[in-house]
Amino acid sequence: MTSRSVILLKLSPLLVPFTVIFTTGVFLTILQSLGLFMPIPFEGRLFSSYAALFRGSWFYVNLGFSLYCAFVSAVLSVVLGTFLSYVIWRLPPGMQKLSVVSKVPLILPHIAVAFIVLMFFARTGYVSSVLNHLGMIESSSDFPAILFGGNGLGIILAYVYKETPFVMLLVTFMLKKYDHRQIETARMLGATKRTTFFRIVLPFLLPVINTSFIILFLYSFGAFDIPFMIGESHPSMLSIQVYNLYFKRDLINRPQAMAILVVMFAFSLVFIYLYSRIAQRIDIRFRKI
Amino acid sequence: MTKNIVLSILLIALFVFPLVVLFFYALSPGWRYPDLWPTALRLDSLRYVASQRAKLSLSLLSSFQYSLITVLCTFCMCLLPASVFARVEFRGKRILESLALAPALVPAITFSVGIHYFFIKIGAADRLIGIVAVLTIFSYPYMLRSLVAGFLAYGAEYDLCARNLGASLLMRVFRVDIPLLLPSIVAGSTVVFLVAFSEYFLVFLIGGGTVPSYTGYLFPFLNSSERSIASLLTIIFMVIPISLFFTIDRVLEHAYHRWGMTT
Repeated sequence: MTSRSVILLKLSPLLVPFTVIFTTGVFLTILQSLGLFMPIPFEGRLFSSYAALFRGSWFYVNLGFSLYCAFVSAVLSVVLGTFLSYVIWRLPPGMQKLSVVSKVPLILPHIAVAFIVLMFFARTGYVSSVLNHLGMIESSSDFPAILFGGNGLGIILAYVYKETPFVMLLVTFMLKKYDHRQIETARMLGATKRTTFFRIVLPFLLPVINTSFIILFLYSFGAFDIPFMIGESHPSMLSIQVYNLYFKRDLINRPQAMAILVVMFAFSLVFIYLYSRIAQRIDIRFRKI
Repeated sequence: MTKNIVLSILLIALFVFPLVVLFFYALSPGWRYPDLWPTALRLDSLRYVASQRAKLSLSLLSSFQYSLITVLCTFCMCLLPASVFARVEFRGKRILESLALAPALVPAITFSVGIHYFFIKIGAADRLIGIVAVLTIFSYPYMLRSLVAGFLAYGAEYDLCARNLGASLLMRVFRVDIPLLLPSIVAGSTVVFLVAFSEYFLVFLIGGGTVPSYTGYLFPFLNSSERSIASLLTIIFMVIPISLFFTIDRVLEHAYHRWGMTT
């Protein structure tokens, strides 16, 4: 056997399930979006589900809403997670152990995190109770509609709560490899605390920040659990629109649900490609400095 | 110093306080808006959950079962490929490696809805095997990354040395690689277990409600006005993984001690 076939053989435990399940799954999604391989015969033309999708306005509204929720929650989680892990890392070693409490949302499932957001930010939730006691609102109806207000705030809050610890985990792991003395040198040379963070530490963390941004953005863009529990119906995340078309309506709507999934899939691939290209370029510029 | 205290209070307020509120909700079904503290503690929800213990433990065990099998599957699937990605240089490696991570990056709904139809055709839908298959594909990239990092942490010379001394492939895997990889195996397994154990949508889609799961059991309560029971069930949900990780930690410490390895 040549070494190439040995490599292939050793990779096969991964490549076979990958092809059989992942590739087949994507392939079937694409086929069904065209009206092929359907449980019942589909009467439209090959691309009619796409045409119907792009003609209606809900798709664009929901796409925009999904992008907005995913973007805002990913940016907030990355910023908050990086900031928290940096300040914890600067603490004396004994106090660093405190960061173990941030593991709580990592263990909780998404639906439970959504429940906690519901408990705190609903009109009759805990935050509203506190404001009531402080005399800032008269009754629960004065509390702003954070949940189900049509602005996605509830979804964003839940994602930020769930994802910030994930960023902290990755960033802290990176910081453990970082040489403290670089910071001391920068400070001795007269850099302010802010300059030190933005010019010395942040460029070092950038690769892991980029990775976590890609993961979190795409996850919130396509995930189902949280919007299913605390999302509004109009506008809704794309995953919910797919669910409604796939499970709640006639089989005739299935190609359209699949067409949305194909668009989401294609978007994810393009996003990963473009983002890593841009990140690479920014990284090179930082290295030059 | 004051800054440190402010930070500690912030961390506790963000991550511990919600659990405290959950705990009090669980013990106080009569807690009404706008009380800041429960007025009376009652054990109603505890009694209700105790009366449902057969259904509850069935769903817990089922979740536990498919999560553990998923961990095992991802491990068997990734061990050899991870050693190749870490040790061998070949053309197309970078593309293949990033392609292998795709299932964790692209939205899981895109391939799982497509595969659902295939599973119905081959009779894997509504069954444990279908759930394990989809969860494995969705979560193996975490295992792969972790194992590749583990292989990179020690040289190929260990393996070579064992081979020179006449160890067979199986012996090398079990006596050299697995002990040295143990920290990465534990890290990867932890993530895969958590992902599988807490997943709601994929289990609901492929399992179709016939395979019991704890998230499936929990969901109707979370979505109802029964906040007290929902809080209690959420707390139970947290206790399981935490005690599992704690036990593993203890066992590993013991094992390392016996093998004379230090972490």
